[in-house]
Amino acid sequence: MSGTSTEYLLLLTAVTAVVTFLLRALPFLFFGTGRRPPALVLSIGKVLSPAAIAMLVVYCFACYVRDRAPADHLFGLAEIAAAVVVVALQLWKRNPLLSILAGTAVYMTLVQTVIP
Amino acid sequence: MNRKPVLKQAFVSSLPVLMGYTTMGFAAGVLLATNSGVEHPALWAFLTSATSISGALQFMLVDWIQKAQPMLEVALLTVCLNIRYSMYGLSLVERFRGLPIAKKLYLIWSLTDETYALEVENKVPPGGDSILYCLTLAALNHCYWIIGVVSGALAGTALPFPNKGIDFAMTALFLVILTDQCRECRNRVYAAVGLLASVVCALVFGAGRMLIPSIILMLSALIVFRKPLEKLESWRPGGRS
Repeated sequence: MSGTSTEYLLLLTAVTAVVTFLLRALPFLFFGTGRRPPALVLSIGKVLSPAAIAMLVVYCFACYVRDRAPADHLFGLAEIAAAVVVVALQLWKRNPLLSILAGTAVYMTLVQTVIP
Repeated sequence: MNRKPVLKQAFVSSLPVLMGYTTMGFAAGVLLATNSGVEHPALWAFLTSATSISGALQFMLVDWIQKAQPMLEVALLTVCLNIRYSMYGLSLVERFRGLPIAKKLYLIWSLTDETYALEVENKVPPGGDSILYCLTLAALNHCYWIIGVVSGALAGTALPFPNKGIDFAMTALFLVILTDQCRECRNRVYAAVGLLASVVCALVFGAGRMLIPSIILMLSALIVFRKPLEKLESWRPGGRS
């Protein structure tokens, strides 16, 4: 099934919506009567998020390494420069929108002009 | 009871979200229109943003559509991306108890990071109906998100521009979330676990097949080493805890 076919897109919309809704509903389903969730569940719920986001950052960069042979692209200079801009701006200004837009603009400029 | 001050306050409280959701949604919408290759980007922008109301997910969708990612992996990744939502309800269970089912379902459906924060803050005027306040906030934020994503998709379709590199927006979004999470010391330990597990899996399985093994490795490590990791939470390099 192609990713752009109507069937795939409908399935994708349904799966993401249902899974996201179930996650939101979880505490209301199981802990609505004043019971507290088991310690392991609470602790995994809290710690999985930073681990998963770190994984997704690694995933994004792994895709760049695969799709843009490092030696041909100044060893990922565009990716590294844009990432530094994002993290530095976020540490400094704490404005997610600004950090994302500026980082993306730097990256687009670099890959469209200096480091194709 | 007078409803007007409650509605007005809900609107005022939602204004920062209006700014955030329309711009962030716009970026996700542009990405969907320019990079996914779907035929009717505005339609899918509407359907996906209206049903899941989730920022990081909206960006990830483009990647999944490009790769026709298998549904089991989509479901697992959605859990990873949105697991934090499952913690939010814990502080709202009491307030939403005994509500009519339709209202309750909508309040749960619409529980995003920002809506949750505003509902917990609960700046309802004295004597006002807190549920009406939450429902109004939720509906406003929901609309802002849909408007942002759909208008981005329309703009991306109407104005073709040199979009090479625009996919970095997703990387940037994850970097921003990670940076904010790492402000808290305890999160750094778990971010490091995710980093290690996924670098190993990227090297072993390659970028295309790394996600599922990474999730399994990461979760096992988090469960097996739960106690030692908890001890590490307060550790600081070269200093006392």
